[in-house]
Amino acid sequence: MNNLQIKKLYALSSEKRKFRFALPLRNKIRIGKRDYVVSLRSDEKYGTYIFWKNRKYPVEIVRSRQNKYEILFNDISYIFTVETPFSLQRMKVLNSKKGRAENESVKAPMPGKLIDICVREGSEILRGQPLVILEAMKMQNEIQSPVNGTVIKVLARPNSNVMKDDILVEIKVH
Amino acid sequence: MKITKILIANRGEIAIRIMKTATKLKIKTVAVRTAAEPNAMYLSFADEIFDYSEESTEIPVFLDIEKLIEIALTTGADAIHPGYGFLAENAYFADKCLDNKISFIGPSPDAIYKMGNKTIARKIALAHNIPVAMGSEGNISNEEEAIAVAEKIGYPVIIKAASGGGGRGMRIVRKSEEMEKLFVIASKEAEKAFKDPSVFIEKYIENPKHIEFQILGDKKGNVIHLGERECSIQRKHQKLLEEAPSGALDDRLREIMGSTAVRIAKAVGYYSAGTVEFLLDSEKNFYFMEMNTRIQVEHPVTEVITGIDLIEQQIRIAKGEELKIRQEDIKLSGWAIECRINAEDVQAGFAPDPGKIDKLSLPSGPNIRIDTGVQAGSSIVPNYDSMIAKLIVSGKNRKEAIKNCKMALDKVWIKGTKTTLPFFRMLVRNQKFQDGDFTTAFIEKDLEKYYYNSEYEEMLAAWLATKLFVEENLQETSIQIDFENGKELSPWLLNKRINQF
Repeated sequence: MNNLQIKKLYALSSEKRKFRFALPLRNKIRIGKRDYVVSLRSDEKYGTYIFWKNRKYPVEIVRSRQNKYEILFNDISYIFTVETPFSLQRMKVLNSKKGRAENESVKAPMPGKLIDICVREGSEILRGQPLVILEAMKMQNEIQSPVNGTVIKVLARPNSNVMKDDILVEIKVH
Repeated sequence: MKITKILIANRGEIAIRIMKTATKLKIKTVAVRTAAEPNAMYLSFADEIFDYSEESTEIPVFLDIEKLIEIALTTGADAIHPGYGFLAENAYFADKCLDNKISFIGPSPDAIYKMGNKTIARKIALAHNIPVAMGSEGNISNEEEAIAVAEKIGYPVIIKAASGGGGRGMRIVRKSEEMEKLFVIASKEAEKAFKDPSVFIEKYIENPKHIEFQILGDKKGNVIHLGERECSIQRKHQKLLEEAPSGALDDRLREIMGSTAVRIAKAVGYYSAGTVEFLLDSEKNFYFMEMNTRIQVEHPVTEVITGIDLIEQQIRIAKGEELKIRQEDIKLSGWAIECRINAEDVQAGFAPDPGKIDKLSLPSGPNIRIDTGVQAGSSIVPNYDSMIAKLIVSGKNRKEAIKNCKMALDKVWIKGTKTTLPFFRMLVRNQKFQDGDFTTAFIEKDLEKYYYNSEYEEMLAAWLATKLFVEENLQETSIQIDFENGKELSPWLLNKRINQF
């Protein structure tokens, strides 16, 4: 990547909020008319944290893949994709072509044991309908469909153990 | 009866809580080391450790009645404290202890049995003119019967496990079409959790407050109450925040509900500490829900406003001492709030997020009490509950307690797992919570967002993501170089990455 041409970067949140940062990236962020120093620090007692306006905020990089980052900031996860002006433009073009119909993968929100599978391949399902019953930490949890659609694949098997983020069911979104 | 050495049949913060009081009373303690947590913090508070970490067992030792009795006999413990959860409400265990001349620090097996079986408890309450919600006469054996009862008392109804507690085996049914599915789920869950599939049905009280009374009784038949706790902030029947007293009660209602609680305790010859749970509807009608025959997770808020050590009272009562405190001695002073800081992912519907606690720093001060069983380096293991710490904050009144709580929450520092902290940070800022205007439906119905972040936090996170992108893609220097210190990539980042594979 030729860094000379890039003047700014955009961090897009999963909720489609856009944050713009000029390059070279400064350790200062302007709020109103004032610049505030932001720094990433690490020490034995607190681990890694961001120091901002006289306060420490715990941070962790949960995962990073290519330009996608999951950041845990003060106990809240944020997912960003970092885009250059060119990649942002390309993404807009691609998105306009792709349309809306997509497949939704329902993942296990926590490790546990599958007690019951409530759907099969081909089932027409509505948002909020239970897909599987997952037992974890003494509780039976209904994993519900996040979308209206058709079940295209059931990867979950009754009485099997699953890890966090294992795909349970794939749904074609209507 | 003398008590010189107590076997703690529990782990975590409650094991430590019990051992602290035992030590204060100059009683020796025995803790059990398990394979799941061989280096747990509670072990360091015990006078003696029974090592059970080499054994590979199917059930946790804290559920193994024969083994616990054997450990008590081997170590010469003359009493067992069950804490909460595990065998705390198991009548057979209490009975076994007595058979072996070991004091069970809790009520009689008979009281545990009667109150533990919700259908029996309901019948006792009805027989003593204690208000209960309309419901089935006894247990319900199939879906058809369930539908018939529900049609009679009117939807919505709640299916409850007869041997239940803690929200398991409980389902709300709003129409007859849902009954078949939910009946089976509730019954299966009840069987799994309590080895008893029987369930019963009650009218579901919409939007109630959960108000419970702390009871103390001795073996001579004296029973008093120590005021109420407000536990309406709950999710899927799991309490998240409790306070004492409750803003919903005035002195008159407190007196009526308190004496009702004492009455039901007396009806089963109750001794030791116990909790009578009520639902309070919007018209201030109250209904007996159940009695918990053990010390509860949220007992500290009562201790803070009454100044009474409940574990000490449990031990004294188990020894056969008469209660020295009279009802008129109980004065509620100030306000206390407990936040259950759990390893849970608030953004993923409070899903448990077990893992290693890398860093931990908890606040302290005159208005702060912390009950915890973990320290930096400890792990929250999936075998047990997800509790990290109970943060108990007090103030002169509710407003001050909330203010102190808000400040204390910002001083809690936990790294390694996600926690319920963002939820509490949101809650203490919520207007309805501040006004005391909330019911058990609050989290599901009144909240749009389950967590709080200040104005600039997302932007700062975006800055960090951008910084990482710049370092990985746009700089010619090696990506192995850490941010500003010039060190190698920090271990926490590496660990997190390794853990993903």
